[in-house]
Amino acid sequence: MIEIDESKLIPCPVCAAVNIDKGKKNTCRRCGSAIYHHRSFSTEKSWAYLITAIIAYIPANIYPMLVTNTFGAHEGSTILGGVVLLWEHGSYPIAMIILFASIMIPVMKFLILFYLLISVKYPIGKDKKVDKHKLYYMTEVVGPWSMIDVFVVAILAALIHLSNVSIVAGTAATAFAISVFFTLLAAHAFDETLIKENR
Amino acid sequence: MKLENEDALDNYVICHACYTLHEEVTIQDGAKACCTGCGSILYRYDTKLIEHGLALSITGLIFFVLANVFPLVQIELLGLEQFITIPKTIFSLFDSGFYIVGLICAFLILIFPFMIFLINLVLFTLLKLKRGEKLSKELLILLAHITPWSMADIFLISIMVALVKLIGYAQIHMGIAFWSLIVFVMIDIYIVKRVHLSELWMLRKRIIVEEKS
Repeated sequence: MIEIDESKLIPCPVCAAVNIDKGKKNTCRRCGSAIYHHRSFSTEKSWAYLITAIIAYIPANIYPMLVTNTFGAHEGSTILGGVVLLWEHGSYPIAMIILFASIMIPVMKFLILFYLLISVKYPIGKDKKVDKHKLYYMTEVVGPWSMIDVFVVAILAALIHLSNVSIVAGTAATAFAISVFFTLLAAHAFDETLIKENR
Repeated sequence: MKLENEDALDNYVICHACYTLHEEVTIQDGAKACCTGCGSILYRYDTKLIEHGLALSITGLIFFVLANVFPLVQIELLGLEQFITIPKTIFSLFDSGFYIVGLICAFLILIFPFMIFLINLVLFTLLKLKRGEKLSKELLILLAHITPWSMADIFLISIMVALVKLIGYAQIHMGIAFWSLIVFVMIDIYIVKRVHLSELWMLRKRIIVEEKS
């Protein structure tokens, strides 16, 4: 018989098996993966990914996402410009989807991860009113959906390349794809057990 | 809390959404156990999971091949016809110099979904034959790493968004691959997104225990 403190049980980040928190050198008893062995720099990895993502998000909004060539005339449209254009054309649902996927979700994710990373280190928001696990879970679930805009650009660029009319992906496509990729990495690198310890 | 040994921890589940600790209880076939804290599903119990998984993995692979070989959509613009397939979409990104986006797309919509279904196929076969204890463990770990990166469903929505953007400018015809992709995504949601990995681990443990006794 062994005695276990219930608050010392943590799930394995890979296989979700229940494990006893043994501190620094801890491997999962079921799958053998390391369980947050980087305890001494627990949030730094996530910070690094998050900052990279935010930096990449700036050119993603400045440069054109799509470049339309019609009869020799080039016309670029940024993410926000594309949303405004769609709204003016009357396709409100699509404008909303793009607005949500490429502007609201990334910005929300930045803010939530920012808040989580700060709050696990410093005593901010300790009043339990905010369900941080739910916040984190939400970012994990909705995060991948910001890739919609990149895929749309890829499809349009592949579909429309006639001699007179063609659509080419812009610089922002690369920047945006990198930004989304790094936000996903930042969310995965975040150590969820820190939430429990600090509330 | 007192336990016999560390392996007895297998009888406990931690909710993946809110981190509440639960003791695992036996439930009816086809029923699901929900978290008391947040109501999200902890695990299901399905006696036919291996058979379903095996059958749907094969079906999924067939539809995946169909979705990649046949044209996805065809448009008529200024009297000219154009069509795309999924690989063509990715190659056109490479052709226009967008290597990073091309690489990311290739992994997210082509390589990872294919890998997941292939792994599932091998995994369910191993579980069915009650063999390969070590290999099934490695496969489950690999599966856990690549499942969050499979975005076939998001790609499907993107196609629809792109097509709605084109309405009014061009005539659009859906190809065979589009319908195949819809079926593939439905199977993907049913067998990959709906079944938690911990259920597969539980299944694997049950089979190993059965085999040893």
